[in-house]
Amino acid sequence: MALPKEVYKALKDIVGSENISDDPALLDSYRYSLAHTAIHLGPYYDTFTPRGAAVLLPGSTGEVQAIVRLCNEHKIKFKASSTFWSAQGYPSEDDTIQLDMRRMDRILEIDERNMFAVVEPGVIGATLQAEAMKVGLNTHIAGSGCSCSVLAGATSYFGSGPSNLYGGWHYENLLGAEWVMPTGDLFRIGSLGSGCGWFCGEGPGPSMRGIARGFLGAKGAMGVFTKCAIKLFAWPGPESLPVEGTVPAYRVSLPDNFRAYTVAFPSWKAWADAAYLIWDTGIGYLAHRQFNMFGRELKYAMVKILTDPSKTLGDLEELLEDPEVQRVTEASKRDFQIVLAGMTPRDLAWQERAFDEILARTAGWKVEAMNQPDVADWSLLYLLRLGHKNLNLVFGGSYDGCFGLLGTADYGTTHVEESGQLKKEWEEQGAVVQAGGDCTMGPIGGQGGGGTCLWENFTCFDPYERESVEGTRALFDAATKLGLARGWGVGMEKWNAQCRGPDGRTTPKEERDRIHLSAPQPSVFRYQHKIRRAFNPNDLGDAYYETLDDEAD
Amino acid sequence: MPLEDFAAEMDRCSQCSYCKWIPFDQVRSWRFAKNCPSVSYYNFNSYSARGRYAVARSLIRGQSGYSDTVRDIVFTCMTCGSCDVSCKVCRYNLEPLEMVRELKFRLVEDGQGLEAHRAIIQSLDREQNTMQRPRSGRGDWADGLDVRRLASEKGKVLFHAGCRLSYDEDLQQSARAAVDLFRKAGVDVGIMGEQEMCCGGRIYAMGYREEFARFARANMAAWARAGVETIVTSCADGYHAFKRLYPQLGSGVQVLHTVEFLARLIQEKKIVFRLEVPMTVTYHDPCHLGRQGEPYVPWDGVEKKIKGQIVVYEPERPRYNGAWGVYDPPREILRSIPGVELVEMERIREYSWCCGAGGGVREAYPEYSQWTAGERISEAIATGAEALVTACPWCERNFQDAAGTMGEPMQVYDLVELVQKAV
Repeated sequence: MALPKEVYKALKDIVGSENISDDPALLDSYRYSLAHTAIHLGPYYDTFTPRGAAVLLPGSTGEVQAIVRLCNEHKIKFKASSTFWSAQGYPSEDDTIQLDMRRMDRILEIDERNMFAVVEPGVIGATLQAEAMKVGLNTHIAGSGCSCSVLAGATSYFGSGPSNLYGGWHYENLLGAEWVMPTGDLFRIGSLGSGCGWFCGEGPGPSMRGIARGFLGAKGAMGVFTKCAIKLFAWPGPESLPVEGTVPAYRVSLPDNFRAYTVAFPSWKAWADAAYLIWDTGIGYLAHRQFNMFGRELKYAMVKILTDPSKTLGDLEELLEDPEVQRVTEASKRDFQIVLAGMTPRDLAWQERAFDEILARTAGWKVEAMNQPDVADWSLLYLLRLGHKNLNLVFGGSYDGCFGLLGTADYGTTHVEESGQLKKEWEEQGAVVQAGGDCTMGPIGGQGGGGTCLWENFTCFDPYERESVEGTRALFDAATKLGLARGWGVGMEKWNAQCRGPDGRTTPKEERDRIHLSAPQPSVFRYQHKIRRAFNPNDLGDAYYETLDDEAD
Repeated sequence: MPLEDFAAEMDRCSQCSYCKWIPFDQVRSWRFAKNCPSVSYYNFNSYSARGRYAVARSLIRGQSGYSDTVRDIVFTCMTCGSCDVSCKVCRYNLEPLEMVRELKFRLVEDGQGLEAHRAIIQSLDREQNTMQRPRSGRGDWADGLDVRRLASEKGKVLFHAGCRLSYDEDLQQSARAAVDLFRKAGVDVGIMGEQEMCCGGRIYAMGYREEFARFARANMAAWARAGVETIVTSCADGYHAFKRLYPQLGSGVQVLHTVEFLARLIQEKKIVFRLEVPMTVTYHDPCHLGRQGEPYVPWDGVEKKIKGQIVVYEPERPRYNGAWGVYDPPREILRSIPGVELVEMERIREYSWCCGAGGGVREAYPEYSQWTAGERISEAIATGAEALVTACPWCERNFQDAAGTMGEPMQVYDLVELVQKAV
């Protein structure tokens, strides 16, 4: 249904005619395929999120406020997104107005002394990192990669990534924030709210991060965040990455205070012990089980392709027959990548010695083929910039994660073989890429003081082939069943099932209530229900801000 | 390949938005991180490659129809190919540039072309150039040059001036200089003069595939009559047409851009520099010489799957991702000119920002075209260079216009002019 003419005109008056459209074809470029990544509820073949009623490109906080107030006046739902990585940024219901925050893309400040940056929604990890490096600082980049909005990861999701270990998760890094509440009122969170600047997310000033973010972030369902400050951390490297190499095999050779290693272990227990020791010792700039996303059996062959610009996926089968590739593949079954960065030469020397001692204690080894200069330089650039996350989709065009269990290193290593075995059985049926079952990947180390890991088992498939999509969904259903049977809980393959259903629209209330009531802590959602009622009286957001009303039982 | 044959790609595009940025590894600043002029200017998703995939799917499924907005979405693409490079940093089974070209062809075939382009096509039919100028004046740029006319004589090496250099009086000096340099280096080069015809490259980029093919065949026939074995051109659009498009219609002549030929002649000491050109310059890679300057490789194959769901091709499909474009010869020339200091912009080589003149945008969307050029002028200024050097008259024209509008003192040169100053 089109917006009433007077509403469309009023919106146009706010943003200008060049920043609004309700052309059907243009609106269709703001629909997300449910056969794609980060849906975490399907996948569903040839199914899309609903077409919006209009798309707007606001250029200022004032414009956002005016839009939201108008939406309240006319009871029109709105959904804001900055960089559109996931289905969570798209409308869940018909007749929703899509706000594309792209025009608000300025880095407003980098406070070198106090180590934070103030950014608008459209600022991505790559640009903030590039600017921060000029003054000896760096930003954490969420696992979705440097193409994604820094603000979105901090205000609206949890922002986990390879540099959790040193840089912290982005939701932890959120400082002051400017929040256009669902009513259109402006709220300044933390020290910003008391006129003391951006430096703190809690105070002096209103401590509202928990309210505004809700459980794992409000995901665009509770107003619009228009500015935020984000913690930065030390960058002991050059002002700009000296990138070399022929596309796509870019690499970076950094000064001698950097090391990028791939290491592997004889058992999962040894792997987990090493993760704990890294955390306890306090070494490491980032640590990630990264390239296993291609699959235990394919990862080294893929590295060979990606580091050689003359090679393509068409070379994969031949590479897999290469005995050297097979040897390295076997040697790096239980692996991860780690970057050491010394603030001084002495610091690096100490970290190196500590890391060698950790490997000695856990009987781990450095995978030498991965540590050859060209490959290590490629890996270093990959991990620091995280600018190749679209390799998630390299095989058939789509991927999604299953399992994705958050917990200690032991927790992940306990289920990795069993989840990999389940996946391997489904791989053999042909619906998903045959990669060796174990395609688990994720960061090592994080909040909580125990080397927290978040591992998802990547599943790659073809969104254009119905059998592939439906076979993947069957695998994901089996993964959920196994997770429940083992007491691991529901994996990330169903994380969004309580918010959005198979038709791309909001999950019916009865189903949402059922899911929330069966959660370990339903009261979280009851509390959020109260918050939502108070802050969003006209209910203008979707179900990604998860609620459970008092009557549900 | 019909638009419908891109349906798999439309679904396999993961909507990641990499197509809106230079390859992320190469990002050095906030200011110069974007790659796609159209989404940078118009901002809606639909003006990016990912958006155009979605718009194309919407159209072929009948979920939406043609409108002014759709025409703008399609024809504001400069077909500069920067999205293609960024996409293929990670993907091996998407061809966004090919898809958007096909989308343009479809709109033109359905009568949805732009009036500004139709006027050019009508004039082209009569005058055989895209400048809407009389055919009779095409050879005037070479008046007084002692060079053979291959329309009436035989010759192995042909210099193709192209529409812009043939008619743009401000720029055509570089065409004369190129011919002069070749001749002084002992190259027996000829020109077609008044009989030269448009290469068709620019109308191909506007969506006029049939008209392009007509001109390509006419040119190939003229070359065959003259015994031409090598084409040299200073126009990047022409280079791309001859190098990548003509072989698809059967052309087998060797194609060289002037900078490639000059670099070779300098290396062979057939051109020797005697004068200093004290100048700090920066170099702009024309899209059609750089990332789209990779040689054509014939392929006639099919998609297949390995390891269950990995999409590959049988036989292996050539990969055009900008890796092997013409980037080094112009830089080698600049570094060899005494006194010239080359400083690089942030966006170079395969991830260069477009000049704004391509895809029929200069003709149909002049304000946006000039904004695009202005962005590049700003980037050049940021290097501290006194001059912006390029190797395509379309880039040069757009930059000169933008610098004039901006009131910037940035000098704009064709590389050939600097070579001529130094010999």
